Amino acid sequence: MRAVRFHGRGGQGAKTASRILGTAAFLEGFVAQDSPIYGAERRGAPVAAYTRIAKEPILERGLIIHPDLVVVADASLIHDPAARVLEGIDERTAVFVNSPLTGEQLRTQTSLPGRLTTLDLTEISVREFGKRGALSALLGAVAGRLVGLRQDSLGQAIARELADLSLAASVIERNQAVALNCYDAVRPVSVEAGASQPILPAQLQPPTYEPPTRGTARISAAANSVLRETGGWRTFRPVLVPDKCNGCWLCFVYCPDGVISMTKDDKPLIDYDHCKGCQICVHECPTDALVAEREKEGGVAWRAK
Amino acid sequence: MAGEMMTGNLAAAWGARLAGADYIPAFPITPQTEIVEALAKWCESGAMAARFVTMDSEHSMMTAAGAAAATGARVFTATSSQGLLYAIEVLYSISGWRAPLVLVNVSRALAAPITLEPDHNDVLAARDSGFLQIHAETCQEVVDSVLMAYRIAEDERVMLPVIVNLDGFYLSFTREPVILPTPEQVAQFLPPFRPAHLGFKASAPHALGVAVLGGTPYSYFRHQMHLAAMNALEVHRETAAAFEQLFGRRYDVIEGYRLDDAEDVLVMSNAFASRGKVAVDAARGEGRRVGLLRLRMIRPWPADAIREALRGRRGVAVLDQNLAPGQGGILFQEIAACLYGEAVQPRALCSFIGGLGGKNLSEGEFRTIFDQTAEAAAREQGIGPILLYTEPEHREMTQLQMLATTQGDVKREP
Repeated sequence: MRAVRFHGRGGQGAKTASRILGTAAFLEGFVAQDSPIYGAERRGAPVAAYTRIAKEPILERGLIIHPDLVVVADASLIHDPAARVLEGIDERTAVFVNSPLTGEQLRTQTSLPGRLTTLDLTEISVREFGKRGALSALLGAVAGRLVGLRQDSLGQAIARELADLSLAASVIERNQAVALNCYDAVRPVSVEAGASQPILPAQLQPPTYEPPTRGTARISAAANSVLRETGGWRTFRPVLVPDKCNGCWLCFVYCPDGVISMTKDDKPLIDYDHCKGCQICVHECPTDALVAEREKEGGVAWRAK
Repeated sequence: MAGEMMTGNLAAAWGARLAGADYIPAFPITPQTEIVEALAKWCESGAMAARFVTMDSEHSMMTAAGAAAATGARVFTATSSQGLLYAIEVLYSISGWRAPLVLVNVSRALAAPITLEPDHNDVLAARDSGFLQIHAETCQEVVDSVLMAYRIAEDERVMLPVIVNLDGFYLSFTREPVILPTPEQVAQFLPPFRPAHLGFKASAPHALGVAVLGGTPYSYFRHQMHLAAMNALEVHRETAAAFEQLFGRRYDVIEGYRLDDAEDVLVMSNAFASRGKVAVDAARGEGRRVGLLRLRMIRPWPADAIREALRGRRGVAVLDQNLAPGQGGILFQEIAACLYGEAVQPRALCSFIGGLGGKNLSEGEFRTIFDQTAEAAAREQGIGPILLYTEPEHREMTQLQMLATTQGDVKREP
């Protein structure tokens, strides 16, 4: 069996990528299983998805703790403990990261173990599709290449899964073409079935009774959400072009997270520690004074508007 | 005789009044309405200092009740049957908030078909909600149980809401003498409600029942509720002792009736247990060694006390006034589960279903239970579920079926 774990941010397409991989494997006659897990459905929040591929019926379910291949759609997730990207990765795990850096550069920056390979899918997506969009087809094709699936089955799987999302035929065809380019472009690393892990009995420690001040699902610390920095959720950041700003305050009003404050001269000030990068302000700005810039290792590489 | 004549409903209302409830959200439903009517009258006249609010549904009523309890108010409310089921989603939230209010349920069988008389499928639907459950047999026990319920619920070791159950009609509208405790006595018994984890202060906001993902915190908090509910067994024991000392009446988690030398034991609950006791007396009069075990506290489930009471018996009959379609009697399952693994088992464990929709339980039906249980014990083979349904009742039903299918224009005999 091959166990593939996808990590992405809500809206990036990790779940659909896991389905594309599952469908492609199924079309090639394998037994496949794919499943996502996520919290409240929010753009930018960490998402994981799992695909298992085997020749025999799969008796496992749910989380993949010891993956053979990890596909990371957003490098900012690597150091977010909540995303658990590093869990179960060892030196034999194959790891693909959507990043402009090479595997070697990434290893020195992130101390990621495993057999690393990278490709800048965001750059390709922006170049080929002309806008920020989901990377599902590209991630699915790259994962398919790494586990040894064929181009034709991946192309067919992309068509099926994207049609399920009600995308137009022309969009699907374009996704197939770009995805298969990525299939060719990614540097392969071998994906091996992991050695079976020794099973030790779990050491149980059922909690004892605690007074309701501790034992109730209750938060009494006021205003502590500031401690949870959500700036890492961004794949793109809103940036002000001061000359274009007419001081209308619309961005302040529309920001769903309250991270925009206004200066004395009516210009927005964005709290990047907490801005999740939803781009609603960019969308609403009547004078295009807010633009989306890609978050990227080594500085901003691209502007959306 | 001491006390005064009052219905079970009025006794429930007196429980809330004596406990000094601060807040009473209400919605009427037969056969409960008399409770909230009495409370409304007292709040209006100033006899009670509580805030009484009529709501637009039981769902809103329970939401308001839980929210008020979360602010640190002592809350009372009451419902029945469909109303309880409409509110049931909120019950799980309130217990999860660990908001220890008291809810009186007046049992009424569930639709469809619709009826007004009691059985226990309504209150047992809330069996796993995290509310503790005390089921009363008499009007006196109703008022006493409401007072005990507040003391148990508000204990730091528990902090869970409680349902006090009484049967519709057979208690709710039945008057019998009830001795009311004085407010001074109640003040000694029930300390003021000062929860450390609840309260309302603008300068100290807090969130209850927050979202938790991944299962680890969820498992912890749910397990805390289980531990809290189990703690209620010990807290009930202490509460019963304090209650007895002050008021001279004793209530345990179970009640044994003529159990001492009983070979066969009938297990049942609620108001019809009185009839069961009469049937035990009658059978005893003919030399039969039978007894009755009344289940009073259903949650937490007093497994040890039940095992103790049933140890060494020849036959055990569980009379469920409820029916889980596709399974049988609900309390039978729980009795069977807690007896499993005992070194000495009853020779026969028998399941009877009776009193559904308030159908009468006759002396003859109790006699049949004793007979069949004795025979089953002799065969060492349990029986059931057996529906208690007599020949005359069957004839009555057949006639109703005929009427239900007879067209109005059919010629009638002169």
